[in-house]
Amino acid sequence: MPNQYFGDYITVLVFMAVGAIIVGGAVVAASLLAPNHPNKTKSEIYECGINPVGGGWSQSHIRYYIFALLFLIFDVEAIFIFPWALKVESFAEAGMGGFIFVEMVIFIVILLLGLVYAIRKGVLRWE
Amino acid sequence: MILGQFIILGAALFSLGVYGVLTRRNAVLVLLSVELMLAAVNINFVAFDTYARDVTAGGQIFSLFVIAVGAAEVGIGLAIVLLIFRNRESANVDELDLMKL
Amino acid sequence: MIDYHALAPELILAGTVMAVLIVDMLPVRKHWTAVVGLLGLFATVVPILTLGFCESLDFCDYSGSREMFGGSYVIDAFSLALKGLFIGSAFVAVLLSVGYLESNRFWQGEFYFLMLASVLGALVMASSRDLVTMFVGLELVTGPTFLMAGWRKGEARSNEAALKFFIIGVLSAAVLLFGMSLVYGVTGELTFTGIRAGSVGVLDGDLSGLFIIGVLFTILGFAFKVSAVPFHFWTPDTYEGAPTPVTAYLSVISKTAGFVGLLAICYLAFGEVTTLWGTGLWVLAALSMTVGNLIALRQTNVVRLLGYSSIAQGGFILVPFGAAIAADVTGSDLEEAFFATVTYLVIYAFMNLGAFGVVIAVGNRLRSAEIKDWAGLFSYAPGLATMLGLFFFSLAGIPPLAGWFAKFVMFRSVLASGSGWAGALAVVAAVNSVIAFYYYSKVVVSAFMEKVPDGVPVAEIREQRTAPSLQFALVLTTIGVVVIGFYPTLISGLAEAAKTFASGF
Repeated sequence: MPNQYFGDYITVLVFMAVGAIIVGGAVVAASLLAPNHPNKTKSEIYECGINPVGGGWSQSHIRYYIFALLFLIFDVEAIFIFPWALKVESFAEAGMGGFIFVEMVIFIVILLLGLVYAIRKGVLRWE
Repeated sequence: MILGQFIILGAALFSLGVYGVLTRRNAVLVLLSVELMLAAVNINFVAFDTYARDVTAGGQIFSLFVIAVGAAEVGIGLAIVLLIFRNRESANVDELDLMKL
Repeated sequence: MIDYHALAPELILAGTVMAVLIVDMLPVRKHWTAVVGLLGLFATVVPILTLGFCESLDFCDYSGSREMFGGSYVIDAFSLALKGLFIGSAFVAVLLSVGYLESNRFWQGEFYFLMLASVLGALVMASSRDLVTMFVGLELVTGPTFLMAGWRKGEARSNEAALKFFIIGVLSAAVLLFGMSLVYGVTGELTFTGIRAGSVGVLDGDLSGLFIIGVLFTILGFAFKVSAVPFHFWTPDTYEGAPTPVTAYLSVISKTAGFVGLLAICYLAFGEVTTLWGTGLWVLAALSMTVGNLIALRQTNVVRLLGYSSIAQGGFILVPFGAAIAADVTGSDLEEAFFATVTYLVIYAFMNLGAFGVVIAVGNRLRSAEIKDWAGLFSYAPGLATMLGLFFFSLAGIPPLAGWFAKFVMFRSVLASGSGWAGALAVVAAVNSVIAFYYYSKVVVSAFMEKVPDGVPVAEIREQRTAPSLQFALVLTTIGVVVIGFYPTLISGLAEAAKTFASGF
C-alpha cells in the first residue's frame, strides 16, 4: 500500500520534471535566439498607448472595506447551514423536524438582526 | 492514508504563520499569517478526523467553527486596522510604540 | 432532549444581548441600553439561583446530573458558582461603564452589546466540557473585548491598545487551537472525559511527543489569555490604553474566564497528566508573581500599576495549579487546590473591580492616573481615598480584608500537598506578598500622608459628585471586600460546592 502511494507521487514528480524542462527550455532558447536591444521607451509601462500619469497606488473608498467585511461575515456564517441541511432529514424522521427547523430559524433571525442593525446605522447606504 | 504527511504539512504551515506574525510589519499581513496558522489547524483536524474515522465527525465540525471564528476575527482585525489607518495613515505594527515598559 | 431550565441563564443573557441591540436601534435615549442590560443581568441571576437550590424547590425536577449534548455541556455546582461570579462582576462592570461612557460621548449601545456578548461567552465557558464549546466560548469572550479596548476611537493610545491586544489574542487563539488539534489527534476525542480516558498511558506510547506538545500548546494559549509571564507583554499596554472600565472588565471577567477554561481543561481533560501541566504552570506561577511584582515596583501610573499587579495576582491564582507538579499528589490535594483557585477568583473579582472603580472616580476628577498627582487625595476626597486604601490593602492581603482569606487558602492548599516543589513555590509566593505590599502601600501612603501637589483644583474637585451608578458599584464592592474578609465562610461555601467538580480524582 505505501509503495503504491509513493508510486503515484513518482508519476507526479515525472510530470513536474517534464513540465519544468519544457518551460525552462523555451525560456533558455528564447534568451539565446531573440535579439536584445534595450532602450528607455521599452521599459515604460504600456497602457493603451497613452503615457502613464500619477502613481501606481490608488486609494479605494473605505466603504468598500465595510461591504467586504459584511459580506465576509454573512458568507462564512453559511457554513453552519450546510451540516444542518445534511442532518435535517434524519431529524425529521425521528420526529424532531419542528425543533430543528425552529433552531435554524433562530440562527437566521440573529443573522438578520445584524443585517438590520447595519442598515439602521446607514452602513449600506451608497452615495 | 499516511497521517505523517498531513501532520508535517500542518506543522510547516503553522510555523510559516508564526514566522509571518513575528516578522511582518504590516498589520494586514500579520492577519494573513494568523489565517495561515488557522489553516494549519484545520488541516490537522480534518486529517485526524479522517484518520480516526471519528463517527461524530468532531474534527470536521471543529474545523467549521475554526473557519467561522477565523472570519469573525478577520472582521474585527480589519475594523481595528481601518481605525488606526484613519488616525495615523499607516498600518505598520512597529510604529505603534506610544507605550513602552 | 434539551434541558431548558439548565440553559436558561445563557438563553436569557442571549436574549438580553439582542434586546440591547434592538433598543439601540430604536429612537430612544441611549442610556436605556444600559438599563436593559442591567435588567437582563438581574433576570439571569434568577435561573442561576433556582438551579443552585434545586433540591429545595418544588417545581424543580432535578435528576442527578444536568448533562447535555453528549456530556459536552454540563450544569453543575462549579459552573453555577462561576456563572454567578461572572454575572455579578458583569453587573459591576456595566455600572462602572455607565458614567464613563456618558461623560465622554462614546457610542453606548454597541458597548453594552459587546460587553454582554462577552459575558455570554464566559457563561458558556463555565459549562463547556469539550474542546469545541470551550473554544467558541473563549472566542466569544475575547472577540468583543478587542473592539472595546479601542473604544476611544480618536485616541492613538486606545487604537494601539486594541491592535496589540488583537494580535496577541488571535495569535494565542491559533496556538491554543493547534494544541487542541494535536490533543484531538492523539486521543481521538473532543469531550474532556473522552480525552482523559484516551490519555491513559499515552505518555509511555509512541505518540507521547505529539501529546506533550498538544498539552503544552493548549496551556500556552490559555497563558496568553490570563497574561501569565512570559506571555504578559500585551497586558500593561492594553490596560493603559483601553478605557478604564474596559480595563476593569479585562482584568476581572476576561481573565477569570481564562482561568475557568484552564481549570476545566487541566483538571478534567488532562487529569491523567497532572505532572505535565503542573510543571508548566509551576514555572508560569513563579515567573508571573516575581516579574509582575518587580515591574510594578517602578510604575508611576496607577492603571499600569494595577496592570502589573493583576499579572502578579494571576501568578498567585496559578500557584495552586503549580502544586500539582509532584507525581504523588492525590485526589484530596487536587481538590484543595481547586477550592483555593475558585476562592481566589471570587475575591479577586471584588477587589480588582473596586480598585478600578476608585481609579475611574478619581481619574474623572483629576484627569490623571499618575501616582504623584494622587498625593494628598485624602485631604479633599476622603471617601474615595479610604476606599482606595481598602481595595489596595485587600489586594496586598492584609487581614481582615477579603484578600487575606484568598492568600490564606492559597498557602494552605500548597502546603497541604506537602511536596518540596510546592513548598518552594509557597516561599516564592510569600516573598512576593511582601514586595506587593510595598507598592500597594506606597500609593495609599502617598494618598493619605503627602501634601497635595500644585495645580490640583481642590475646591473644584470637592464640588464634583461621583456618578450614582459608579457610587453603587463602589458600595457593592466595598461591602464585598469587608464582609468576605470578616465572614470568609460566605464564599468558602460556594467554593466548597464547586469542589465536587474535582472529586473525580
